[in-house]
Amino acid sequence: MGGLILVGLAALALYLTADLSQGTLRSMGPGMVPRALAVGLGLCGLALVGAGLVRPGHPLERFSLRGPVVILLAIAAFALTIRPFALGGITTPGLGLLGAGPLTVLIGGYATAEARLRELLALGFGLTAFAMLLFGDLLNLPIPMFPEAYAALFPTGWSQDGRLRATAGLLGGAALALLLVGPRRPVAQPDVAGGA
Amino acid sequence: MGDLLGNLALGFGTVLQVVPVELPGLGPVPLPMNVVLCFIGCLVGTLIGVLPGVGPVATIAMLLPITFKFDPTGALIMLAGIYYGAQYGGSTTAILVNIPGEATSVVTTLDGHQMARQGRAGVALGIAAIGSFVAGCVATVMIAALGAPLTRLALVFGPAEYFSLMVMGLVFAVVLARGSILKAVAMILLGVLLSTVGADLETGQERMTFGLPFLSDGIDFPVLAMGLFGIAEILRNLDHTEARDVVRQAIGRLLPGRDDLRQSGLPILRGTAIGAVLGILPGNGAVLGPFASYTLEKRLARDPSRFGSGAIEGVAGPESANNAGAQTSFIPLLTLGIPPNAVMALMVGAMTIHGIVPGPQVMTKNAGLFWGMIASMWVGNVMLLIINLPLIGLWVRLLKVPYRLMFPAILLLCCVGIYSINSLPTDILFIGLFGAVGYVLIRLDFEPAPLLLGFVLGKLMEENLRRALIISRGEMSTFIDRPISAGLLLVAVVLLVVALLPSIRRSRDEVFVE
Repeated sequence: MGGLILVGLAALALYLTADLSQGTLRSMGPGMVPRALAVGLGLCGLALVGAGLVRPGHPLERFSLRGPVVILLAIAAFALTIRPFALGGITTPGLGLLGAGPLTVLIGGYATAEARLRELLALGFGLTAFAMLLFGDLLNLPIPMFPEAYAALFPTGWSQDGRLRATAGLLGGAALALLLVGPRRPVAQPDVAGGA
Repeated sequence: MGDLLGNLALGFGTVLQVVPVELPGLGPVPLPMNVVLCFIGCLVGTLIGVLPGVGPVATIAMLLPITFKFDPTGALIMLAGIYYGAQYGGSTTAILVNIPGEATSVVTTLDGHQMARQGRAGVALGIAAIGSFVAGCVATVMIAALGAPLTRLALVFGPAEYFSLMVMGLVFAVVLARGSILKAVAMILLGVLLSTVGADLETGQERMTFGLPFLSDGIDFPVLAMGLFGIAEILRNLDHTEARDVVRQAIGRLLPGRDDLRQSGLPILRGTAIGAVLGILPGNGAVLGPFASYTLEKRLARDPSRFGSGAIEGVAGPESANNAGAQTSFIPLLTLGIPPNAVMALMVGAMTIHGIVPGPQVMTKNAGLFWGMIASMWVGNVMLLIINLPLIGLWVRLLKVPYRLMFPAILLLCCVGIYSINSLPTDILFIGLFGAVGYVLIRLDFEPAPLLLGFVLGKLMEENLRRALIISRGEMSTFIDRPISAGLLLVAVVLLVVALLPSIRRSRDEVFVE
């Protein structure tokens, strides 16, 4: 299985480097090193396939697709909403960190069956507020923080930093409110299993 | 000797330098900025070391953009602090929860957790701290002493020698990798192959870019590292809900008694020596240090059966070895400009961001940075000792944060961190892609670490190979004709043969199973 993937990757690399000149040892062309590596990789793959045929390996453990699929969705959601992203005629809305942050946490959180909506919302708001203050306010990194339309909601006198801090404050407040208000459930802690 | 002292004085001068910092509301306040950064680094490092599932590679990749704000010395001091702080924090988790917080603290779980079960968690943590501190001090002096001579050695290195040295490093990585040697070789080849993606060094022709513009500069190292070590790690952890066996017993007193100290004195020194030597080797030798130290202590012990049921030597030796190795692995980077592992490769990234080309010239051109970083390691070790023992209660509480809350946080910080490096949404998509690839590799029993090392050394290797062959007019024999290069290649061949010998293979497997 793993061997076959390696052979496939090697074949892909050979195909992609096919139009690059090989050159000579004295003056190597751009294609020589990648091609040699691809051949080596392919040989490793073949050897692994061979070894797999001779002695049966242990079968793959069962695993669910939920984790990988949901996490990848969350990452894609962040990439597509942090700023407008044009993809074949469709442009996604640029929500900035204000939208992308909680969205990513919310989607990603559902990668496990133990996810709870309220908890994830609180976490998402809290983390976004933290990230805004750290990356935006303290470090001044060029990350889009909120959409244009949102920034326009503030009275004109407000500075960018002021808007940022107010937003972070609101988010933090929302996170706290979510934690404090709402039905208290008995806190189960499956992760802290008792000593064996 | 006088040189050494002078240099160390310069280093400590740099670290303790007081600069006025503009604080909101207070105006400029004189602060020893480098000490503050060292402290932050150590604290963050310990934190991620304690938390299983977040490693130094992903964290440093996440924090790279933060270093834009600081001067290069401060930035590197902080990143270095994260690295050795993580080694330190990893042992806390190993002792208290029986899960290695870091790969290097696997061995500590064996005896450390048993000690905790017997109500001696405090002593185990204390001896780990003391051992790490001793190791850190020795390693700092060693880096300072070896820095200058190795830098001179680097000046006689030509492209052929560099190439052979890196080949040796990769062979080391193969030998040290867990599991099948063939799979490790395949991963290294794949890593080097990935490093050739992008514009060709000499002709500028695009290689394997699918015609995509953002690939023409090659694959970004932080993106690859965060995908393979940040995202893939989340995916792997989601598969099995871990049972965390947090020690319920009281932690007990932290200071080891006189008997404990007598028992662990020699193991600490031996562990330090082993770890320091292995750490210098390119190819992430630091990982092997704790294993080697544990095996040695078990062999030397009068009563080996005590090991595995709470022998203090089994904590003292490996803990010293892992800290010594973490620090001496800076030597190849600082003197030769070759990163021996993924963390050091990220350091290269941090240096390049600030326009510093790693290599032998750093010591002369940026003497303050070089010696400042070395001195900061000693300062950092003192801090780790002081901040960590009182904070153990806090770390224990942190360990009770369930993973279902931790991974969304890691996920978000990965996304924000990688976006802020280049402001490219495609980078974010790529960490997802590499995360998925890394996950598949892990499921198929391929280790991602050799891949990353191959990628790190790949560009340098190709460059030096081509240069060496141009100089020798296409004669491959140049690698054997030059004595240093031949020696390095010989070591590599011997290592590979030895690793493939059946008897050694068996004991190698045992070392990793133990």
